[in-house]
Amino acid sequence: MAAAGPEAAAAAEDAGGSGAGPCAGAARGARLPLARVKALVKADPDVSLASQEAVFVLARAAELFVETIAKDAYVYAQQGKRKTLQRKDLDNAIEAVDEFAFLEGTLD
Amino acid sequence: MAERPEDLNLPNAVITRIIKEALPDGVNISKEARSAISRAASVFVLYATSCANNFAMKGKRKTLNAGDVLSAMEEMEFQRFIAPLKESLEVYRREQKGKKEARKDKDRKADSEEQDKSREDDNDDDDERMEEEEQNDEEEVDN
Repeated sequence: MAAAGPEAAAAAEDAGGSGAGPCAGAARGARLPLARVKALVKADPDVSLASQEAVFVLARAAELFVETIAKDAYVYAQQGKRKTLQRKDLDNAIEAVDEFAFLEGTLD
Repeated sequence: MAERPEDLNLPNAVITRIIKEALPDGVNISKEARSAISRAASVFVLYATSCANNFAMKGKRKTLNAGDVLSAMEEMEFQRFIAPLKESLEVYRREQKGKKEARKDKDRKADSEEQDKSREDDNDDDDERMEEEEQNDEEEVDN
């Protein structure tokens, strides 16, 4: 299985940032690399300049978003008495939660 | 090779770690679900960027700033993110300031070793600091 290679490489790439402590939230925990977030910001043709702080807040917001959507999807896994989160749990969460409406049709 | 913006994925390892930390111990996530969440996160960033940019434009600014992103969160109905984001931003600002101080001290030390102290010109330091600020705070996004 070739899966170990890329995963390990990605983990090594990400290892630089986080302390990975059990702190619930404020600024510690998993850190999305700002360079990747900036690449997404650059993809918008209407954006000319973005401050470093703006990129940081976007990265942090994306982390909070991942936490939120994972928890919301998990509710459906629990209903199905499963301990593995599946794609359909995510689809259910997107349909049920108003704030996730912007995702409809974008994940396929 | 045309890449759609949504294809700019965030690193799998970090996404997986965030998901695992958010869920109870012993809960797993299928590859498809993880991949979909990663994609959703990218879409989220794109949408938030666009939203934030509207606020920047409304303020007649060309540079998207942290405040614009916070306003975007409000607009997108993710108000519950605003407090933790503000907290994180404070920590980030302190970290950045600490880095600048360290750099400035290092430069000053190098200068004083080279020059006579009585001839040290404060104006030079100020100009240097302004240049650094420009480089750090704004990054030109070429489109």
